[in-house]
Amino acid sequence: MEYNLQIKDKTITVEMTLKQDCWLSATIKNSPDDRTDYEQIQYGRISDHQVRLMVNGQQINAWIIDQTDGKTIIIGGERFFIQDKDKLAQTQTLNPRTDKGPDQVTPPMPAVVINVPVQLGDIVEKGDTVVVVSAMKMETSLVAPHGGTITRIGINEGDKVMPGDILIDIEKNEVDKIEIN
Amino acid sequence: MFKKILIANRGEIAVRVIQTCKDMNIKTVAVYSDADKTALHVLEADEAVHIGPSDPSQSYLAMDKIIGAALKTRAQAIHPGYGFLSENPEFVEKCTQAEIVFIGPSAQAIRKMGDKITSRKIMMAGGVPITPGLTGSHHTLDEMGQKADEIGYPVLIKATAGGGGKGIRIVHSQEELSDACESASREAKNAFGNPDIYLEKFFPRARHIEFQILADNFGNTIHLLERECSIQRRHQKIIEETPSPAVSPSLREEMGNTAVTAAKAAEYVNAGTIEFLLDDQNRYYFLEMNTRLQVEHPVTEMITGIDLVRQQLEIAAGNPLTLTQSDISARGHAIECRIYAEDPENDFFPSPGKIEFFKEPGGPGIRNDSGIYSGCTVPVEYDPILSKLTTHGETRDQTIAKMIKALKSYIVLGVKTPIDFLIDILSSPPFKEGDVFTNFIDTHFSTWKPTEKNRDLACLAFLVDEVCKKKNRSTDGDEKKQPPGPFHTLGNWNL
Repeated sequence: MEYNLQIKDKTITVEMTLKQDCWLSATIKNSPDDRTDYEQIQYGRISDHQVRLMVNGQQINAWIIDQTDGKTIIIGGERFFIQDKDKLAQTQTLNPRTDKGPDQVTPPMPAVVINVPVQLGDIVEKGDTVVVVSAMKMETSLVAPHGGTITRIGINEGDKVMPGDILIDIEKNEVDKIEIN
Repeated sequence: MFKKILIANRGEIAVRVIQTCKDMNIKTVAVYSDADKTALHVLEADEAVHIGPSDPSQSYLAMDKIIGAALKTRAQAIHPGYGFLSENPEFVEKCTQAEIVFIGPSAQAIRKMGDKITSRKIMMAGGVPITPGLTGSHHTLDEMGQKADEIGYPVLIKATAGGGGKGIRIVHSQEELSDACESASREAKNAFGNPDIYLEKFFPRARHIEFQILADNFGNTIHLLERECSIQRRHQKIIEETPSPAVSPSLREEMGNTAVTAAKAAEYVNAGTIEFLLDDQNRYYFLEMNTRLQVEHPVTEMITGIDLVRQQLEIAAGNPLTLTQSDISARGHAIECRIYAEDPENDFFPSPGKIEFFKEPGGPGIRNDSGIYSGCTVPVEYDPILSKLTTHGETRDQTIAKMIKALKSYIVLGVKTPIDFLIDILSSPPFKEGDVFTNFIDTHFSTWKPTEKNRDLACLAFLVDEVCKKKNRSTDGDEKKQPPGPFHTLGNWNL
């Protein structure tokens, strides 16, 4: 079986063959010329959140949790969020979601709006602070994901906002960069 | 000694105080908000009183409700922990009026030390060196600008009230000054109800060294050595250790004596902390005094073998210190890592949520002061600290190695944690050499990304988890009624 796994912006292809009992072999391709073969892997599940692998004679404990669209895996103090790209494509065609992508100004967690240092019609550059929110008593600046003109401000100071709420619309300018000499 | 006390706090520190009370056979009363109905501190205490909605202003900061809970449960004293009401003089006065002992200093001492300007003046008068900067509290922007020009940029804007990294801004040039003052003042007003700010010199290569002190009602004041707290993010400490690699025995003695002088100048009673900046020329300056139990107190407990909460209780109960300065000696080295629910890849933004799975590390010299358990929720409303992991070893190198090992077997699923970030800091050459300073993270780790050494294995684990789940599903409904345990799924291990 071939799997395409997504970790952040990287796609990793794994060819896996299940063998008898609890053995498998796999080839991991990080890129076309970067591949590693794992001939004999013994595996087992310890609990709902733990699997154990024996790779080249070494015991590996991994802790796992299923989350929306993927799994978080902890190994040796490292945390990974891994998605099955093929499954992801299926679910996305089944329930096309409104894409809130990185192009929007939205808080990463429930927060309160502290300050809106921009006004309607302002021209902002990528990285400019457009909203300051406070969550867990900590102020955080939300920045313009791209340069452009502020076309809508959907919040006031003191508003409670949630992830996914689009706080401010920034329309990209037709010409990305005006050359100034 | 008290028979019953109330703990006006939540999370790991409330649990920490309960631990010592259990050791001393003192009954405990927890208080909780809507968000904390099943929090660990509630489950651990002998009694628990609901005090209101999740918003701290209506629960953990609601003085009358907390005093009401103490009266109702006949608690004789209140331990405030850190944060919340721990440094609120009005609360201390209200406790006194209700004839409840506040386990901490007097309202007067808190008031004097809580105001950074007053404390700077007291220390100056007592002959304690202070950082160059302003010593008044109401300054115009022009005055701030003038002082900044005089002492030279970068400067630090600080709230005159409070602490905990709130209301602080580093300003590198005059152009940034006005914005920084405005936002620091706003954050200070939100966090402490007081918008006043002042300005002092910022030392980018300085270390943050603090001394633990204990003082009783009979004029005995001692220090319990230093803590090095230079590793900070967002002006909050995340790794603390003792002894400091930068402090020589003679400097330790000098700074320790100064700390005792400072505590006496403040007429301080109970446990407190004198914070100093130590610059790269080994000159030190008084920063502030924290009039409470410090978050990072476990490292001091590890090397001195003294339970600071027990000392607090003894002092509050009116007993004299049984320790003298010559009783205090250090054994080995201790390091603490703060484990927050936060995302180190996203500017340490809080990551609240449900802890689906939690496994603590263990072994000799490993201590975890935790406020969580598998299945609990980390609420949005409060500081997202999950636990403080502390290791103790004979040498600094051993203690670092032990900490890295402990972090690797510390498993939290459901929220993000900075565990991988902490491992990378502890493994880095500058940390190992002890070359730390307050700007360490910005200098060495500002563009940190996980190294992903175990990426291949993580992919394999992902697929194995899928395979095992499929196998489980296909055996569902078979003659096997029992869910497969490890012995069914493990196969034949050759160990």
